[in-house]
Amino acid sequence: MTLTSEPSTHDPSELLSPASVERRRDVVRQASRSSLRRRRLLGNATRAVCYVALCIALVPLAALVGYTVDRGVQGLSWGFFTQVPAPYGVPGGGIANAIVGTLIIVGLAAVMAIPVGLAVALFLVERRGRVAAAIRFVADVMSGIPSIAIGIYAYALIVVPLGPSGYAGITGSFALAVLMVPIIVRADEVAMRAVPDDLWDAALALGARRSRVARSVVLRNALPGIVTGNLLGVARAVGETAPLLFTIFGSQFLETNPFKPMQAMPLTIYTDGTQADAHLQSVAWATALVLLVFVLVLSIGARTIASYATRHAR
Amino acid sequence: MVHSVGIVTSGGPGAESEAGTRPAGSTSFERRGHVAALIAHRHRRPGGRVYTALRWGGVLIFVAVVVSLVVSLVWQAAPAFRHSGFSFIFSGTWDPDTEKFGAGVFIVDTLLTTGLGLLMAIPVGIATAVALSEFLPRRLAGPLSTAIDLLAAVPSIVVGLWALLILVPVFERDVEPFLQKIPLVRHLFTGEDLGTGILLASVVLAVMMLPTMVALTRVALRGVSVADREAALALGGTQWQVVRRAVIPGARSGIEAAITLAMGRALGEAIAVSLVIGGGVSLPHSLLDTGTTLGSAVVNFFSESSGIQRSAVIGLVVVLLAFTAVANIGGQLLIRPRRSRGYERAEPEEVAPTGEGAPA
Repeated sequence: MTLTSEPSTHDPSELLSPASVERRRDVVRQASRSSLRRRRLLGNATRAVCYVALCIALVPLAALVGYTVDRGVQGLSWGFFTQVPAPYGVPGGGIANAIVGTLIIVGLAAVMAIPVGLAVALFLVERRGRVAAAIRFVADVMSGIPSIAIGIYAYALIVVPLGPSGYAGITGSFALAVLMVPIIVRADEVAMRAVPDDLWDAALALGARRSRVARSVVLRNALPGIVTGNLLGVARAVGETAPLLFTIFGSQFLETNPFKPMQAMPLTIYTDGTQADAHLQSVAWATALVLLVFVLVLSIGARTIASYATRHAR
Repeated sequence: MVHSVGIVTSGGPGAESEAGTRPAGSTSFERRGHVAALIAHRHRRPGGRVYTALRWGGVLIFVAVVVSLVVSLVWQAAPAFRHSGFSFIFSGTWDPDTEKFGAGVFIVDTLLTTGLGLLMAIPVGIATAVALSEFLPRRLAGPLSTAIDLLAAVPSIVVGLWALLILVPVFERDVEPFLQKIPLVRHLFTGEDLGTGILLASVVLAVMMLPTMVALTRVALRGVSVADREAALALGGTQWQVVRRAVIPGARSGIEAAITLAMGRALGEAIAVSLVIGGGVSLPHSLLDTGTTLGSAVVNFFSESSGIQRSAVIGLVVVLLAFTAVANIGGQLLIRPRRSRGYERAEPEEVAPTGEGAPA
């Protein structure tokens, strides 16, 4: 715009005179400089805003972990891992029942969920068309279902017809499996899609059956991704409270029979943490720390496998 | 390319609708479909049949679970729906003694806490993700990003315990009296400062959503191609202008997906919210009022309910299910049309070759 305020002339030699060129160059320089200054200022301001947001995000997250570690460590002892809860009012005791219960319940859930997830993912990778699209859509919607709804579903499906004997570890496993399947399906499908097309082509061209292709080509090549996805699914299930609240009933004893009521770590945190009793609250904190470590170990394991696999794929 | 489409759609391994939107250079999908049609489908031997049966078995179990989930919950809730009719959703009175079941207050509280939580989590989450993926030096951003990714896995019960035992006293003693002193804003925070209430529940939801939001947004920002960034830089953009004009628009669908996912989680979060929201059953007049969301109502009322009241509580689950399903499906529909548009970003695996080929 500033350029047009230049005295307009139709004489090219006048326009190209050194003074005129210099004048115009100055105008451009100034305009670009002030524009750049303005844009840099805006950029720095927004950058500062982003850094402030980062701090705002980190403070509560750090406080959450910090408090859990700080309060949790105070309640930890060797007996905490090996003993069952002490009777009310008696000091000591541990959460062996909850640790064993969580391991059994989540283990059984994984045994139920992983094969189904694998089968559905294979189906989605191999098939095309409306059926596959519909199932993928359902899996996506399922992965957003609130865990409390899954808990009530397991209650309605198993505890209502069976009566009190329906309160069992295995009922909780079923609920967690329902929660895990959509997560596993998505992760497995992504991992299988990453298998190069040429490998499929080559295997099929060699006359391999689809079962053979699935076993030797798809599963073998997608294995790290599948393991990662399944571990993340397990990590999610380990920390869930809502599916267990109305299904496993809880137990103060070391119960290893999944057809009996069992205890799990999230349930211990929920029941003990809501009591106005210092000892029970410290048990809840310590259990929260153990659970947190469980979940983090699973997540870090999953990430390690994933990064190891990507490094060795090249 | 065209002649193979007929065979491709007839079945066999491969991706479905993506085939059409792939660039002309990569015909691998079509080729695979072709080969699959010729080999896999014509030679279905017994071994293949067992395999097919196993695969279909898994799919059928999955479908059966989904169907039975919806059917059994609706079935159990039916008596309450019949009992209350439309007032189940629109009435705000929940009084088991007179058998009045209206989820209106719970719905309002659910939407209020989720909305407030999103209001806090979205700006902070996106700005944090931008800081991590665009501004901070990699040495610092790497470990911080990993830490936040890992925090996304923190169980909600741990967040709930922390909120109940640490945040409630802090809110009661410091935060809420402070908010009540700020002019104008204080009218939102009238009433007693109990610590527990809608405000704290929203904060807890925001804290729970943040790591997921940051992690997914960061992945979306990362996915914007180097070429797009370089183009914006070459036009003279400053670092922020590159982010504002090239990176954020390019990552838009990913960011929207992150928000949808976070919203779904927040709508359905029951345990942590039930610990800190206080359990009031009347319409809130201030953000400090106690309340009850759909999820926390289920946690609070389910064990000591029976008969028609239990059916009504399961009715709450059905309403909650409908809300999350609508949010999820809406989110997917929102994201999908953009995916198929012509100018959509190249997918990550197609970006890599251009990045590596640049030195040549």
